[in-house]
Amino acid sequence: MSSFGFGLITAAVLAIATVGFTMQFAVTNVLNLAYGSVMINSAFVSYYLNINGVTPWVSLFGGVVTGSVVSWALNRFIFTPFQRRNLAPITVVIVALGCDLVGTFGLQAIVGGGYVSFRQSPGKEYHILGMFLSGLQLIILAICVVILGLVHWLLKYTRLGKAMRATSANPNLARNSGVKVQRVISTTWLISGALCGLAGTVFAMNTGVFEATSAQLYIVLLLAAMFLGGPGEPYGAMFGALTIGLSTEISAAYISPQYKEVIAFVALLGMLTFRPYGIFGSEKTI
Amino acid sequence: MSAWAFYLATVLIYGAVDAMACLALNFEFGFAGISNFGFIIFQSVGAYVAAVLSMPAAASSNGGFQQYIFGWNLPWPLPWIGAAIAGGLLALPFVFLVGKRLRGDFAAVGLLVSAVLLNVLVKNYVPLFNGDAGISIIPAPFQSLWNPQGLGYQFAYGGAAIVLTVGVYFLLRRLTESPYGRSLRAMRDNDIVADSLGKNLRKQRTVTLVVGGMVAGLSGAILVGFISLWAPGAWGYAETIVLFAAIIVGGAGNHKGAILGAILVPLAFEEVTRFIPPLSNPALVPALQWVAIGLLIILFLWFRPNGILPERRRILSGEHASEPVAAPAEAQSDALIKLGNIDELNFRELLRQEDVVNDHRVILSCEGLTKSFNGVTVVSDVTIEVQQGRLTGLIGPNGAGKSTTLAMLAGTLPSSGGKIIYEGRDITALPSNRRANLGLVRTFQLASEFKKLTVLENLVSAIPRQSGDSLVGAMRGRRHWGSEDHANIERAMEMLGGFGLTQYADAYAGGLSGGQRRLVEIMRALLAEPKVLLLDEPMAGVHPNLAHKIGDQLTRLCAGGMTILMVEHELSIMDAFCDPVIVLAEGMVLAQGTMAELRENSAVVEAYLVG
Repeated sequence: MSSFGFGLITAAVLAIATVGFTMQFAVTNVLNLAYGSVMINSAFVSYYLNINGVTPWVSLFGGVVTGSVVSWALNRFIFTPFQRRNLAPITVVIVALGCDLVGTFGLQAIVGGGYVSFRQSPGKEYHILGMFLSGLQLIILAICVVILGLVHWLLKYTRLGKAMRATSANPNLARNSGVKVQRVISTTWLISGALCGLAGTVFAMNTGVFEATSAQLYIVLLLAAMFLGGPGEPYGAMFGALTIGLSTEISAAYISPQYKEVIAFVALLGMLTFRPYGIFGSEKTI
Repeated sequence: MSAWAFYLATVLIYGAVDAMACLALNFEFGFAGISNFGFIIFQSVGAYVAAVLSMPAAASSNGGFQQYIFGWNLPWPLPWIGAAIAGGLLALPFVFLVGKRLRGDFAAVGLLVSAVLLNVLVKNYVPLFNGDAGISIIPAPFQSLWNPQGLGYQFAYGGAAIVLTVGVYFLLRRLTESPYGRSLRAMRDNDIVADSLGKNLRKQRTVTLVVGGMVAGLSGAILVGFISLWAPGAWGYAETIVLFAAIIVGGAGNHKGAILGAILVPLAFEEVTRFIPPLSNPALVPALQWVAIGLLIILFLWFRPNGILPERRRILSGEHASEPVAAPAEAQSDALIKLGNIDELNFRELLRQEDVVNDHRVILSCEGLTKSFNGVTVVSDVTIEVQQGRLTGLIGPNGAGKSTTLAMLAGTLPSSGGKIIYEGRDITALPSNRRANLGLVRTFQLASEFKKLTVLENLVSAIPRQSGDSLVGAMRGRRHWGSEDHANIERAMEMLGGFGLTQYADAYAGGLSGGQRRLVEIMRALLAEPKVLLLDEPMAGVHPNLAHKIGDQLTRLCAGGMTILMVEHELSIMDAFCDPVIVLAEGMVLAQGTMAELRENSAVVEAYLVG
């Protein structure tokens, strides 16, 4: 049961990250493989605020802003110019991989290779429904649930959300129907970047100790969660994250922690091979 | 002095290994368009297999301090051959991933993830290849006869590695400069169109990955025989990115570019940084190395996307070989281009059309054909019969489902329901390349030229049954397919002359104007020697005079036994050439008859002709 608790936290963080990732894919058709490096850079900004005396929960905000701004800039100054050149989609993916190297190892060059951790106590241990969760984990869980609720509200009940969904379905048609597509894309990257920064920071807090390359393999979990739910589908991403998060932690408990990501890999490869548009998605979305 | 000599030998060996790996990856990525983000695992499996084949049984060696499978103690060259075979076999499971319908970038992600997964598994499952610690004390070839530490041995090893790399270069060049190589590049430029012209994408990609995997496996074997250890740390997924950087810098689609890239990127990065004095932060230099690789990729793709040595344009037309043909200016109007001698051309001879007596039997038909996307029905219950030897028209307002119907008939889109019968055979489940091989060929509404093939290559690539258009045929060399290819080029040149495009024979098809590209597509589809030709708005953007001349030729082809189903908006073309004409509206067949009859039909007039 305790692995279920861990799984819930992993799933909640993964859900935030995957929703951001899948929104970027939805509006710009970019598989942003630099996502992990933005996550860890945000975590480090937050960490430096924290060790310079800012409380963890305020410094978290610094991570969110970093993720937001960096993601927006990445799209505005790198991905969009490349896409305008009408290149094969794979070119932009290769560029994203290049950005990932620059982001991750540029950070490592600056901060060094050592492990660091936030100055905060994990808080009192709570025993809920047979799960042992620390105060920190409960707060993380609460933040994630609130944020996912906000995303739901944004997509379902606001003009911006409607415009995002329209842009994702068909950018040209959206433009012709009066949606300011460029602005929607920019806003989406700001919001999804904020989710990326938030996910990176809470990921680092939850992990305890982390270093510049800690998020490098996180992209695999992200991709697995996204493809399970269908690429470009925010609700699918939440479902996928829950499935992947729980199954990795539970398999870690029952099989072996060394192989805990294997289930995510296998899920991802299976989805790509048999249903690349997700369990609920349909062909048209790709 | 001697330290430098040893160093030189090391550089030669590393250089040869990197060059071989880059040649293989470039063959996959630059020629066949497969973005193999997991390339490093193919090199790695070669290294491991060469190691465990050449080592003694695990229990007996070194007091059993390492575990591994096999341990067969095989003499050279068997371990290297085994490595190449292992690299080729490893490709087979990925055929499902790079198969037909998956987006290139999704497949690339799948390969990347596979590379990470295999690394995790090998690292944690010790009995396979000794886990994270890796395998060490791997014997060098002939080490019992010749001291591997000696300078002579090391230079001999380097020499052998270079000879093998040169061999790989010539082998891959033989493949890529053949009609088969042309098919691979066609697939790279537009896989759906290549499929519709009868190229078997899955087979072509399998061959590519197997050949590339074998070369990669061999390169791993050469490397491991020299460095004598191999561990998961040496083949992280990011190593593939370094090789991609090499190819992007050197020039994708150019073998010499791949070699140049191998020298400039992996080799130089390793070697130059050796000479940087140790710093207080030991992680700094490797970290900056990765940053530099990332920047190199981004900057090159922006400023010099084709690399230092770009892909070579293949000049096939003999007469134009001396003067390079510039791509036409975009501004040049189609109307200004002089019409070719299309009237004089004997299309039937050119297309090797056999004499068929037209019996106007139903050659292609569909029953209850239906297509829906996301629950929205685009084509519903369409039943059409196309008669042999006739030029049937298909008209209807925008969104009527004309193109979707055509795509389902050709197999480009799977149908959601209904049955398609071609020459008395149910072909509903047949993939589009098989339909094309049976003589059912389509053209596309949107630009579908192979951009980085010349106009002439576009045409020749479509010709069916070329003896050099297979792995075996290509390997048999120019002597086997050369004269046939020459004849094919002659045919394509004659066709180009008919359409007045001779001057563009050697220009990249991607540089032509819209109307010219339509013509290239019609010519290409005709050269595929179809029995039934499905044309999707072939005359859009084509000069009206020329359009009518093409119509005349199509009519003559039909008289000679070809069958054509044509979607077209231009009603004057329908009036002049098509009988019967089928009207689609809102995904359903509205009417069928001659144009004169349709003009009398009030439902048709209301739905289409007035608007």
